[in-house]
Amino acid sequence: MLQGALAGLAAGGLYAALAVCLTLMSRLVRVVNFSQAATGMFGAFVAVWLVTAAGLPIWLGSVLGILLAGALSAAIGWIAATWLSEASTTARSAMTVGPLLLLISLSFILFGNKPQPFSPILGGPAFEFGGVVVSQVTVVMVLLAVVVAVAVQLILTKTAVGTQLRALSERPTTAELLGIPSKPLSIAVWAATGVISAIAIVIVAPSQSNDATSLAMLIVPASAAALLGGFTRPGLAVVGGLALGVLSGLVAQIEEVALIRNFLPFLFIVVLLLWTQRKEVWDSAR
Amino acid sequence: MSSLVVDNVTVSRGAGPVIANVSLTVTPGEVTALVGPNGAGKTSLLDGISGVVGVSGGRIVLDGDPIEKLSRVARVKRGLLHIEQGRAVFPSLTVRENLSLTARTGADMDAAIGRFPELEKRINSPAALLSGGEQQMVVLARAFAAKPRFLLIDEMSLGLAPVVFMRLLPYVEELAQSGAGVLLVEQFTHLALGIAREALVVAGGKVGYHGPASALRDDSELLHRAYLGGSAA
Repeated sequence: MLQGALAGLAAGGLYAALAVCLTLMSRLVRVVNFSQAATGMFGAFVAVWLVTAAGLPIWLGSVLGILLAGALSAAIGWIAATWLSEASTTARSAMTVGPLLLLISLSFILFGNKPQPFSPILGGPAFEFGGVVVSQVTVVMVLLAVVVAVAVQLILTKTAVGTQLRALSERPTTAELLGIPSKPLSIAVWAATGVISAIAIVIVAPSQSNDATSLAMLIVPASAAALLGGFTRPGLAVVGGLALGVLSGLVAQIEEVALIRNFLPFLFIVVLLLWTQRKEVWDSAR
Repeated sequence: MSSLVVDNVTVSRGAGPVIANVSLTVTPGEVTALVGPNGAGKTSLLDGISGVVGVSGGRIVLDGDPIEKLSRVARVKRGLLHIEQGRAVFPSLTVRENLSLTARTGADMDAAIGRFPELEKRINSPAALLSGGEQQMVVLARAFAAKPRFLLIDEMSLGLAPVVFMRLLPYVEELAQSGAGVLLVEQFTHLALGIAREALVVAGGKVGYHGPASALRDDSELLHRAYLGGSAA
């Protein structure tokens, strides 16, 4: 049991990091970014190509891939900020389905539809706990998710830029009328979340299913995790991600219910939606 | 001389023009009142000047430079500040955080708070927990800290008791005395005319009166005629 739970922690850290990104995007730039994992996936694939085909050192290829993911995300953010700045959250979110499909298709065209030959950046055990070996990837992923969530909270509450971002998220027009530059700030949020997603995917991809669709569809468990925090609280998003990862690991260990593992994020979403809507009256809720 | 000139401006929303062919000049150190019945287009005109909506005709000139094509943020950088209708505070931000959005230095912050002693004891409270009058104090304190050259104020009294609004009005005069040109849209017509030098009355999207505020103060017949859309200029 413990082995299964700890084995799921690395994936949980990945879900958590992506969920923090989704939470940031939803809270600060009014978008549920369906292409969040896809931009990270594409950056990671380019990193693999740079290392295997172009012969770059692994660290340099990874850095360039991560930067490309940030730039891609910033480009999508530029589109949203330029043409959809006054659009509803639904319209802005729907727009991100375009880049999601585009990036999956582009990665099929450029890199094929097989899993990529990732070279692990991190490998080997970190320590042993209760007779179970905990890998370096697990430790780094959990730490990354926690550090990102804490850093986000500190930036939002303790810095001038954070105050401006919160102001923008509450009353975008009023913020602009006070001279807060909404477009550069929102593009910076897109770029930062693109970079974080790519870092998380580059670290974990070597140790899990890493074809384009599997990685891009990490958006589903990440959304489930972000939903625990209502897409507003990064701390709860981390808890959601780690819990989902641990649950997946546990379920995978039990043969009778192992199949449920694939549906776990959906179950998580349905249960959370039912729970959050429990006090709604049918007429007013629908 | 520094001035904000609105030259033959038309603002449209959806089907057609909401307010058309308005010309006025806002002069530093003075309050210009813009009054008229509901739906006359006053808010749309302010929105057009600050860039919330684009103008469909005419020019807006600040210190000799046309600004109607500039972004909202670029207009703010040139010294134009727009206080929107209602209570334009950021509810989850504390009073201090609200003020920090325009107060560039600690001294600016201290000066802004110093004018509103009521805010000092609520400085770390989220703005959402303040009363309506206190929220408008936050908005005014933020305006003081921004040190605007031209200030557009839209129905600051909305949702406030007249007695509360009358406490706030001297601050608007103070902002003008500090050198800002103020364009004041207000439902309490006589209070607005009381502190204004120039006044415009708009009705049905057109200017019905443009002249000294004192003439409207002293002649209620003239004010009523302009409100009903007749030409009183």
